[in-house]
Amino acid sequence: MIRKIKIAAYMLFAIVAVMLVVWLMKSIRQTDITIAADNRINVTPNQLTSIKAIGEWEFLAIANEELVDTVRKGLFSDDHLVRIYYGTVRLGINMHQVEPGWLKTSGDSIEVTLPPIILLDRDFIDEARTKSFFESGQWSHKDREALFRKAYRKMLQHCLKPENILSAQQNGEAQFRQMMKALGYEHVSVKFKSS
Amino acid sequence: MVDESDTLPNLIHRIQKSSRLYTTEFHVHKIITHEDVLRLKGSLLSKDIDLPLPLGERKIAIPMDVTLKAYIDFGHFTERNVECNGTHITILLPDPKVVMTSSKINQEEIKEFVGLTRSHFTDKELTNYEQQGRRAILNSVPEMGIVEMAQENAARVLVPMLVEAGYREENITIAFRKDMNIRQLINSNLEGL
Repeated sequence: MIRKIKIAAYMLFAIVAVMLVVWLMKSIRQTDITIAADNRINVTPNQLTSIKAIGEWEFLAIANEELVDTVRKGLFSDDHLVRIYYGTVRLGINMHQVEPGWLKTSGDSIEVTLPPIILLDRDFIDEARTKSFFESGQWSHKDREALFRKAYRKMLQHCLKPENILSAQQNGEAQFRQMMKALGYEHVSVKFKSS
Repeated sequence: MVDESDTLPNLIHRIQKSSRLYTTEFHVHKIITHEDVLRLKGSLLSKDIDLPLPLGERKIAIPMDVTLKAYIDFGHFTERNVECNGTHITILLPDPKVVMTSSKINQEEIKEFVGLTRSHFTDKELTNYEQQGRRAILNSVPEMGIVEMAQENAARVLVPMLVEAGYREENITIAFRKDMNIRQLINSNLEGL
Protein backbone atom coordinates (compact mmCIF):
# COMPACT_ATOMS: atom_id res chain seq x y z
CA MET A 1 0.00 0.00 0.00
CA ILE A 2 2.77 2.39 1.05
CA ARG A 3 4.65 1.44 -2.10
CA LYS A 4 1.64 2.38 -4.25
CA ILE A 5 1.32 5.76 -2.50
CA LYS A 6 5.05 6.41 -3.08
CA ILE A 7 4.71 5.60 -6.80
CA ALA A 8 1.66 7.89 -7.11
CA ALA A 9 3.56 10.68 -5.31
CA TYR A 10 6.55 10.24 -7.63
CA MET A 11 4.29 10.32 -10.67
CA LEU A 12 2.51 13.44 -9.42
CA PHE A 13 5.86 15.07 -8.75
CA ALA A 14 7.07 14.13 -12.24
CA ILE A 15 3.91 15.55 -13.85
CA VAL A 16 4.23 18.82 -11.91
CA ALA A 17 7.94 19.01 -12.80
CA VAL A 18 7.22 18.49 -16.52
CA MET A 19 4.46 21.12 -16.41
CA LEU A 20 6.82 23.55 -14.68
CA VAL A 21 9.54 22.94 -17.26
CA VAL A 22 7.05 23.39 -20.14
CA TRP A 23 5.76 26.62 -18.57
CA LEU A 24 9.29 27.89 -18.03
CA MET A 25 10.34 27.04 -21.61
CA LYS A 26 7.26 28.79 -22.98
CA SER A 27 7.86 31.86 -20.81
CA ILE A 28 11.51 32.05 -21.80
CA ARG A 29 10.54 31.75 -25.47
CA GLN A 30 8.09 34.62 -25.00
CA THR A 31 10.63 36.74 -23.18
CA ASP A 32 11.69 39.72 -25.23
CA ILE A 33 13.74 42.43 -23.59
CA THR A 34 15.16 45.43 -25.40
CA ILE A 35 16.83 48.62 -24.33
CA ALA A 36 15.24 51.44 -26.27
CA ALA A 37 14.98 55.21 -26.42
CA ASP A 38 12.44 57.40 -28.21
CA ASN A 39 13.62 59.35 -31.27
CA ARG A 40 10.73 61.78 -31.58
CA ILE A 41 10.88 65.42 -30.59
CA ASN A 42 8.45 66.91 -28.07
CA VAL A 43 5.49 69.02 -29.14
CA THR A 44 6.52 72.66 -28.66
CA PRO A 45 4.85 75.87 -29.88
CA ASN A 46 5.83 77.69 -33.07
CA GLN A 47 6.16 81.34 -32.22
CA LEU A 48 5.37 83.81 -35.03
CA THR A 49 7.87 86.56 -34.24
CA SER A 50 7.28 88.98 -37.12
CA ILE A 51 5.24 89.54 -40.27
CA LYS A 52 6.44 91.94 -42.94
CA ALA A 53 4.97 93.14 -46.22
CA ILE A 54 7.60 92.82 -48.92
CA GLY A 55 7.79 93.27 -52.66
CA GLU A 56 10.56 91.03 -53.93
CA TRP A 57 10.33 89.94 -57.55
CA GLU A 58 12.42 86.84 -58.19
CA PHE A 59 13.73 86.14 -61.68
CA LEU A 60 16.31 83.44 -61.01
CA ALA A 61 16.47 80.80 -58.28
CA ILE A 62 19.57 78.67 -57.86
CA ALA A 63 18.93 75.62 -55.71
CA ASN A 64 22.13 74.48 -54.14
CA GLU A 65 23.42 71.42 -52.34
CA GLU A 66 26.81 71.85 -50.73
CA LEU A 67 28.89 69.02 -49.32
CA VAL A 68 31.15 70.45 -46.63
CA ASP A 69 33.62 68.67 -44.39
CA THR A 70 35.98 69.37 -41.58
CA VAL A 71 38.90 67.26 -40.38
CA ARG A 72 40.61 67.14 -37.00
CA LYS A 73 44.10 65.68 -37.17
CA GLY A 74 44.86 63.16 -34.44
CA LEU A 75 47.93 61.23 -33.35
CA PHE A 76 46.65 57.84 -34.53
CA SER A 77 43.63 58.70 -36.66
CA ASP A 78 41.76 61.73 -37.96
CA ASP A 79 38.23 62.76 -37.03
CA HIS A 80 35.82 63.74 -39.79
CA LEU A 81 32.51 65.54 -39.96
CA VAL A 82 30.77 65.71 -43.32
CA ARG A 83 27.41 67.39 -43.84
CA ILE A 84 25.23 68.30 -46.81
CA TYR A 85 23.64 71.76 -46.66
CA TYR A 86 20.72 72.92 -48.79
CA GLY A 87 19.91 76.44 -49.86
CA THR A 88 18.33 78.48 -52.64
CA VAL A 89 19.93 81.70 -53.79
CA ARG A 90 17.28 84.04 -55.19
CA LEU A 91 18.07 86.88 -57.60
CA GLY A 92 15.63 89.59 -58.56
CA ILE A 93 14.49 93.12 -57.81
CA ASN A 94 13.06 94.82 -54.76
CA MET A 95 9.89 96.63 -55.78
CA HIS A 96 10.32 98.98 -52.82
CA GLN A 97 13.38 100.37 -54.63
CA VAL A 98 11.56 101.55 -57.76
CA GLU A 99 11.87 105.27 -58.31
CA PRO A 100 9.02 107.67 -59.13
CA GLY A 101 8.33 107.63 -62.86
CA TRP A 102 9.62 104.07 -63.31
CA LEU A 103 6.73 103.44 -65.70
CA LYS A 104 6.33 105.91 -68.55
CA THR A 105 3.39 105.45 -70.89
CA SER A 106 2.65 107.04 -74.21
CA GLY A 107 -0.36 105.64 -76.10
CA ASP A 108 0.31 101.93 -76.63
CA SER A 109 3.97 102.23 -75.60
CA ILE A 110 5.45 101.82 -72.14
CA GLU A 111 8.97 102.29 -70.82
CA VAL A 112 9.85 100.33 -67.68
CA THR A 113 12.89 101.21 -65.56
CA LEU A 114 13.59 98.57 -62.94
CA PRO A 115 15.96 98.69 -59.96
CA PRO A 116 19.17 96.62 -60.24
CA ILE A 117 19.21 92.86 -59.81
CA ILE A 118 20.18 91.96 -56.25
CA LEU A 119 20.43 88.99 -53.96
CA LEU A 120 16.89 89.07 -52.56
CA ASP A 121 17.64 87.50 -49.19
CA ARG A 122 20.99 87.00 -47.49
CA ASP A 123 19.52 84.17 -45.43
CA PHE A 124 19.14 81.45 -48.01
CA ILE A 125 20.34 78.26 -46.34
CA ASP A 126 17.72 75.85 -45.03
CA GLU A 127 19.90 74.57 -42.20
CA ALA A 128 17.14 72.46 -40.68
CA ARG A 129 17.19 70.35 -43.87
CA THR A 130 20.88 69.53 -43.44
CA LYS A 131 21.88 65.90 -43.79
CA SER A 132 24.59 64.34 -41.73
CA PHE A 133 26.73 62.34 -44.12
CA PHE A 134 29.58 61.06 -41.97
CA GLU A 135 30.87 61.61 -38.46
CA SER A 136 33.82 60.20 -36.60
CA GLY A 137 34.98 61.62 -33.29
CA GLN A 138 33.08 64.13 -31.23
CA TRP A 139 32.17 67.56 -32.61
CA SER A 140 30.91 70.66 -30.87
CA HIS A 141 28.10 73.01 -31.88
CA LYS A 142 30.81 75.59 -32.56
CA ASP A 143 32.31 73.24 -35.18
CA ARG A 144 28.88 72.89 -36.79
CA GLU A 145 28.47 76.66 -36.90
CA ALA A 146 31.87 76.90 -38.62
CA LEU A 147 30.70 74.33 -41.20
CA PHE A 148 27.52 76.31 -41.81
CA ARG A 149 29.55 79.46 -42.48
CA LYS A 150 31.78 77.56 -44.85
CA ALA A 151 28.75 76.23 -46.76
CA TYR A 152 27.32 79.77 -46.87
CA ARG A 153 30.51 81.19 -48.37
CA LYS A 154 30.71 78.40 -50.94
CA MET A 155 27.09 78.82 -52.01
CA LEU A 156 27.53 82.57 -52.45
CA GLN A 157 30.74 82.02 -54.38
CA HIS A 158 29.13 79.48 -56.70
CA CYS A 159 25.83 81.28 -57.26
CA LEU A 160 26.49 85.00 -57.20
CA LYS A 161 28.27 85.09 -60.55
CA PRO A 162 27.96 87.83 -63.19
CA GLU A 163 26.47 85.34 -65.67
CA ASN A 164 23.70 84.46 -63.21
CA ILE A 165 22.96 88.13 -62.55
CA LEU A 166 22.82 88.69 -66.31
CA SER A 167 20.53 85.68 -66.73
CA ALA A 168 18.21 87.04 -64.00
CA GLN A 169 18.19 90.43 -65.74
CA GLN A 170 17.34 88.89 -69.12
CA ASN A 171 14.55 86.82 -67.61
CA GLY A 172 13.24 89.86 -65.70
CA GLU A 173 13.16 91.81 -68.93
CA ALA A 174 11.26 89.00 -70.69
CA GLN A 175 8.80 88.61 -67.80
CA PHE A 176 8.01 92.33 -67.57
CA ARG A 177 7.66 92.54 -71.34
CA GLN A 178 5.17 89.65 -71.29
CA MET A 179 3.25 91.22 -68.41
CA MET A 180 3.03 94.65 -70.01
CA LYS A 181 1.86 93.05 -73.26
CA ALA A 182 -0.82 91.24 -71.25
CA LEU A 183 -1.84 94.64 -69.88
CA GLY A 184 -2.37 95.81 -73.46
CA TYR A 185 0.83 97.68 -74.35
CA GLU A 186 2.13 96.96 -77.85
CA HIS A 187 5.58 98.49 -77.55
CA VAL A 188 7.45 97.67 -74.35
CA SER A 189 10.92 98.82 -73.39
CA VAL A 190 12.49 97.40 -70.24
CA LYS A 191 15.76 98.56 -68.74
CA PHE A 192 17.52 98.10 -65.42
CA LYS A 193 19.21 100.74 -63.29
CA SER A 194 22.86 99.98 -62.81
CA SER A 195 23.84 98.99 -59.28
CA MET B 1 43.40 71.55 -33.53
CA VAL B 2 40.72 71.81 -36.17
CA ASP B 3 41.90 71.75 -39.71
CA GLU B 4 39.07 72.86 -41.92
CA SER B 5 39.76 71.43 -45.30
CA ASP B 6 37.85 71.83 -48.53
CA THR B 7 38.33 68.34 -49.82
CA LEU B 8 34.87 67.77 -51.24
CA PRO B 9 33.26 69.32 -54.28
CA ASN B 10 29.88 70.96 -54.16
CA LEU B 11 27.09 68.67 -55.34
CA ILE B 12 24.36 70.22 -57.44
CA HIS B 13 23.24 73.62 -58.65
CA ARG B 14 19.78 73.78 -60.17
CA ILE B 15 19.13 77.05 -61.93
CA GLN B 16 15.54 77.94 -62.57
CA LYS B 17 14.17 80.99 -64.34
CA SER B 18 11.13 82.28 -62.52
CA SER B 19 8.82 85.20 -62.04
CA ARG B 20 7.63 85.21 -58.47
CA LEU B 21 6.43 88.20 -56.54
CA TYR B 22 7.12 87.60 -52.85
CA THR B 23 4.65 89.70 -50.92
CA THR B 24 4.78 88.60 -47.29
CA GLU B 25 7.58 87.46 -45.02
CA PHE B 26 7.01 85.53 -41.80
CA HIS B 27 9.58 84.79 -39.13
CA VAL B 28 8.92 81.82 -36.90
CA HIS B 29 10.89 80.84 -33.81
CA LYS B 30 10.80 77.35 -32.38
CA ILE B 31 12.66 75.56 -29.66
CA ILE B 32 12.95 71.93 -30.60
CA THR B 33 13.18 69.79 -27.49
CA HIS B 34 13.90 66.14 -27.18
CA GLU B 35 14.33 63.98 -24.14
CA ASP B 36 14.89 60.29 -24.07
CA VAL B 37 15.33 57.96 -21.17
CA LEU B 38 16.96 54.64 -21.84
CA ARG B 39 14.27 52.09 -20.89
CA LEU B 40 14.28 48.36 -20.42
CA LYS B 41 11.22 47.23 -22.33
CA GLY B 42 9.66 43.91 -23.16
CA SER B 43 8.13 40.92 -21.45
CA LEU B 44 9.69 38.65 -18.89
CA LEU B 45 7.98 35.45 -17.75
CA SER B 46 4.75 36.60 -19.41
CA LYS B 47 4.86 39.95 -17.60
CA ASP B 48 5.28 43.26 -19.46
CA ILE B 49 8.09 45.40 -18.17
CA ASP B 50 9.02 49.03 -18.86
CA LEU B 51 11.72 50.27 -16.52
CA PRO B 52 13.84 53.43 -16.82
CA LEU B 53 17.54 52.71 -16.52
CA PRO B 54 19.43 54.72 -13.90
CA LEU B 55 21.54 57.62 -15.24
CA GLY B 56 20.22 56.90 -18.74
CA GLU B 57 18.60 60.23 -19.47
CA ARG B 58 19.45 62.67 -22.26
CA LYS B 59 17.90 66.04 -23.01
CA ILE B 60 18.45 68.64 -25.69
CA ALA B 61 16.90 71.99 -26.63
CA ILE B 62 17.62 73.37 -30.10
CA PRO B 63 16.50 76.95 -30.89
CA MET B 64 15.60 77.48 -34.53
CA ASP B 65 14.49 80.48 -36.62
CA VAL B 66 12.67 80.05 -39.89
CA THR B 67 11.68 82.44 -42.68
CA LEU B 68 8.55 81.69 -44.69
CA LYS B 69 7.55 83.75 -47.69
CA ALA B 70 4.28 83.89 -49.59
CA TYR B 71 4.41 84.63 -53.29
CA ILE B 72 2.34 85.00 -56.43
CA ASP B 73 3.67 83.13 -59.44
CA PHE B 74 3.66 85.38 -62.49
CA GLY B 75 5.33 82.73 -64.65
CA HIS B 76 2.10 82.02 -66.52
CA PHE B 77 0.62 85.52 -66.41
CA THR B 78 -1.06 86.27 -69.75
CA GLU B 79 -3.81 88.49 -71.18
CA ARG B 80 -6.28 85.93 -69.81
CA ASN B 81 -5.45 87.27 -66.33
CA VAL B 82 -6.40 90.80 -67.37
CA GLU B 83 -9.84 92.19 -68.00
CA CYS B 84 -10.05 95.76 -69.34
CA ASN B 85 -13.42 97.41 -69.37
CA GLY B 86 -12.96 100.98 -70.56
CA THR B 87 -11.06 102.75 -67.80
CA HIS B 88 -11.52 99.90 -65.32
CA ILE B 89 -8.97 97.11 -65.07
CA THR B 90 -9.28 93.79 -63.25
CA ILE B 91 -6.27 91.57 -62.64
CA LEU B 92 -7.04 87.96 -61.76
CA LEU B 93 -4.05 86.55 -59.91
CA PRO B 94 -3.04 82.94 -59.39
CA ASP B 95 -3.34 81.50 -55.88
CA PRO B 96 -0.58 82.49 -53.47
CA LYS B 97 1.96 79.87 -52.52
CA VAL B 98 4.23 79.52 -49.52
CA VAL B 99 7.88 78.55 -49.40
CA MET B 100 10.37 78.19 -46.57
CA THR B 101 13.24 80.36 -47.78
CA SER B 102 15.62 79.80 -44.88
CA SER B 103 16.08 78.17 -41.53
CA LYS B 104 18.84 78.75 -39.01
CA ILE B 105 19.84 76.65 -36.06
CA ASN B 106 21.18 78.78 -33.24
CA GLN B 107 24.14 76.50 -32.56
CA GLU B 108 25.56 78.65 -29.77
CA GLU B 109 22.34 78.48 -27.76
CA ILE B 110 21.84 74.71 -27.92
CA LYS B 111 21.58 73.22 -24.43
CA GLU B 112 22.11 69.56 -23.75
CA PHE B 113 22.32 67.20 -20.82
CA VAL B 114 23.67 63.69 -21.17
CA GLY B 115 23.42 61.05 -18.45
CA LEU B 116 26.48 59.14 -17.28
CA THR B 117 25.59 55.90 -19.06
CA ARG B 118 24.69 57.59 -22.35
CA SER B 119 26.70 58.65 -25.37
CA HIS B 120 26.59 62.21 -26.68
CA PHE B 121 24.07 63.20 -29.35
CA THR B 122 25.42 62.23 -32.74
CA ASP B 123 25.30 64.50 -35.77
CA LYS B 124 22.74 62.18 -37.34
CA GLU B 125 20.46 62.45 -34.30
CA LEU B 126 20.76 66.24 -34.22
CA THR B 127 19.89 66.65 -37.90
CA ASN B 128 16.99 64.22 -37.44
CA TYR B 129 15.51 66.36 -34.60
CA GLU B 130 16.04 69.52 -36.67
CA GLN B 131 14.25 68.00 -39.66
CA GLN B 132 11.33 67.00 -37.42
CA GLY B 133 11.15 70.58 -36.07
CA ARG B 134 11.17 71.93 -39.61
CA ARG B 135 8.29 69.62 -40.59
CA ALA B 136 6.33 70.69 -37.50
CA ILE B 137 6.60 74.34 -38.61
CA LEU B 138 5.52 73.52 -42.16
CA ASN B 139 2.54 71.58 -40.82
CA SER B 140 1.44 74.63 -38.81
CA VAL B 141 1.46 76.96 -41.84
CA PRO B 142 -2.31 76.63 -42.50
CA GLU B 143 -3.02 78.18 -39.08
CA MET B 144 -0.84 81.23 -39.74
CA GLY B 145 -3.18 83.05 -42.14
CA ILE B 146 -0.42 83.48 -44.69
CA VAL B 147 -2.62 83.28 -47.78
CA GLU B 148 -4.94 86.15 -46.82
CA MET B 149 -2.00 88.41 -46.03
CA ALA B 150 -0.21 87.41 -49.23
CA GLN B 151 -3.28 88.47 -51.23
CA GLU B 152 -3.56 91.83 -49.46
CA ASN B 153 0.13 92.56 -49.85
CA ALA B 154 0.09 91.55 -53.54
CA ALA B 155 -2.49 94.30 -54.07
CA ARG B 156 -0.22 96.74 -52.21
CA VAL B 157 2.55 96.09 -54.74
CA LEU B 158 0.44 95.90 -57.89
CA VAL B 159 -1.97 98.81 -57.35
CA PRO B 160 0.81 101.47 -57.18
CA MET B 161 2.31 99.86 -60.30
CA LEU B 162 -0.95 100.20 -62.22
CA VAL B 163 -1.42 103.75 -60.90
CA GLU B 164 2.05 104.51 -62.21
CA ALA B 165 0.95 103.02 -65.55
CA GLY B 166 -1.90 105.54 -65.71
CA TYR B 167 -4.91 103.83 -64.13
CA ARG B 168 -6.90 105.55 -61.39
CA GLU B 169 -6.76 103.71 -58.08
CA GLU B 170 -10.55 103.39 -57.84
CA ASN B 171 -10.63 101.73 -61.26
CA ILE B 172 -8.26 98.92 -60.30
CA THR B 173 -9.43 95.53 -59.01
CA ILE B 174 -7.04 92.81 -57.91
CA ALA B 175 -8.96 89.56 -57.77
CA PHE B 176 -8.27 86.02 -56.59
CA ARG B 177 -10.24 82.82 -56.82
CA LYS B 178 -13.11 82.98 -54.37
CA ASP B 179 -13.95 79.35 -53.94
CA MET B 180 -10.62 78.05 -52.80
CA ASN B 181 -10.28 75.84 -49.80
CA ILE B 182 -7.53 77.62 -47.89
CA ARG B 183 -6.24 74.61 -45.98
CA GLN B 184 -6.13 72.40 -49.04
CA LEU B 185 -4.57 75.15 -51.10
CA ILE B 186 -1.73 75.73 -48.69
CA ASN B 187 -1.00 72.07 -48.26
CA SER B 188 -0.97 71.39 -51.96
CA ASN B 189 1.15 74.43 -52.68
CA LEU B 190 3.56 74.25 -49.81
CA GLU B 191 7.07 73.78 -50.99
CA GLY B 192 10.13 72.25 -49.47
CA LEU B 193 8.46 69.44 -47.63
